[in-house]
Amino acid sequence: MKKSNKFTVFLYVVAIFFVMIFLLPVLYIIMNSFKSSAELFSGGVSFFPKEWTLDGYIDAIGQGDFGRYILNSAFVAIISTVIMVIINTMSGYALAKFKFKGMNVIMIIILSTIMLPLEVIMVPIFDMLKLTGLYNSLWALIIPPAATPTGIFIMRQFLVTIPDELMQSARIDGAGEWRIFTSIIIPNAKPAIATLGIFSFMWRWNDYVWPLIAINDPKKYTLQLAISNFSGEYAVNWNAMLAMSAISMIPMLIIFLIFQRQFVQGTATSGMKG
Amino acid sequence: MGNKRGSYGMYMFRQKSVPYLFLAPNLIIFLVYIITPAIMGIYYSFTRFDGLRDPVFIGTANYVKLFTKDPKFIDALLNTMKYVAVTIPLIYIVSLVLAMIIIQEIRGKAFFRATFYWPVMISFIVVGVMWQWIFGDTFGIFNAILEKIGIGRIQTLTNPNFAWWGAVFIMVWSKAGYYMIIFIGGLLSIPNTLYEAAKIDGANTIQKFFYITLPVIKPTSLMVIILATMQVFKVYPMMVTFTSGGPYNATRFIVQHIYEAAFMGNEIGYASAMSVVMLVIVTIFSGINFILNREVD
Repeated sequence: MKKSNKFTVFLYVVAIFFVMIFLLPVLYIIMNSFKSSAELFSGGVSFFPKEWTLDGYIDAIGQGDFGRYILNSAFVAIISTVIMVIINTMSGYALAKFKFKGMNVIMIIILSTIMLPLEVIMVPIFDMLKLTGLYNSLWALIIPPAATPTGIFIMRQFLVTIPDELMQSARIDGAGEWRIFTSIIIPNAKPAIATLGIFSFMWRWNDYVWPLIAINDPKKYTLQLAISNFSGEYAVNWNAMLAMSAISMIPMLIIFLIFQRQFVQGTATSGMKG
Repeated sequence: MGNKRGSYGMYMFRQKSVPYLFLAPNLIIFLVYIITPAIMGIYYSFTRFDGLRDPVFIGTANYVKLFTKDPKFIDALLNTMKYVAVTIPLIYIVSLVLAMIIIQEIRGKAFFRATFYWPVMISFIVVGVMWQWIFGDTFGIFNAILEKIGIGRIQTLTNPNFAWWGAVFIMVWSKAGYYMIIFIGGLLSIPNTLYEAAKIDGANTIQKFFYITLPVIKPTSLMVIILATMQVFKVYPMMVTFTSGGPYNATRFIVQHIYEAAFMGNEIGYASAMSVVMLVIVTIFSGINFILNREVD
């Protein structure tokens, strides 16, 4: 379809308008994290810092113990993602390649967890975390969120396409089921695993509701929980706050630039929901 | 199916247990941390329960109190519904416009798509911090710019109206890129022959949009509306750092009300009743959407 020049110009104007709305605020915040507090509160409109400084970062790490929060967040995001990928692939495999009694009931259980917002059952979840000994432990942010209905369905959808012959010939050769899973299913599921893995990392890194329910001890704070508590203080240290916000965004920016394709495909195929 | 072969009893038994074992870790987590809490929550909602002493069964008293003696709950609920009613159409329009830009033959498509999607990657907490800093009354750049261009400073996050619309804006800002991607999939699946046929019939661009594009992407639209509604209904984390629910409760929504009743007021039975009400509303809404979609088809 050939479009007129006027239309093309209009298109670019609209596109650039949206680029400014989506990109400038983020860049502005990152730039502000390098400004001195004197400059932050001068009421100026300059985009770049007049004088580059790491004061905010030093404040955050020094006074706020943010080094620990970053490590907590990284630990939770990485370990939870590994567990999530393994157990969701296992479930997806069972649903894709086996026929068994009770399959429909299990599908209904999994589907019902999609429809149930976590926010609605915060209190009983809190009780169950206490009962199972996970309350106030980073494992509360790792294990329960690792089971995701979305992950199971994505893996199932993907694994259905793997030919049954691969598994059958391995069974004839005497391979055990776990062996088949690790040496045939996992290598064949790599694209889906990559998609799921980066989504899981993002969900856990950005998570707020699980830490809010499960963590009380400031030593166990994640970055998001720490930033939110920090922002509620009477005298907010904006220097440190902006630095921490930038630190929260930067790993995601890097991961996004590397795995853009997976994010776009993952969102398009399923409407990923954490 | 390959797993029907083999005739040894032991082998069959092992084969039969395989899928259950593979499903076990996920199902155990679901049962312990989602299904059981959901059932407990429903039970709690019929009790008086402060988290310390055992729950006492009180029938529907919590529900009666909710709708007759708790104006703060009704305010938070209505505010949330108003918020959803305004935000969802805006998310729908903006993400559809973004998707329609991306599917055109333009240069720098990858750059545009990445830029529009990028806010999705930022946590709600940080989105709230960012915009609090930008919109802040005294030191925010928003007011500084208004002053520079001669409009003069205005009341921003201390003004209930501004804060409420700000909350709408940052939700759309944060989520439009996500739904844009879903729309792109729907738009690309429209067969070109439809547009060509319409062109022969002399349809203009606007007619093509309303008579071809919108009807064909209806399933996608439905998915976007349901997903976005579930998301927006739960709005709270963003408000924690943006406004903390203020000023004058302008951005105080239902999840915040439930959270405070449960964890700060220790009214667990009562908070559970609110949760059940919220769940019922979200479910009814999704159900209506499904039914409407099916009827028209």
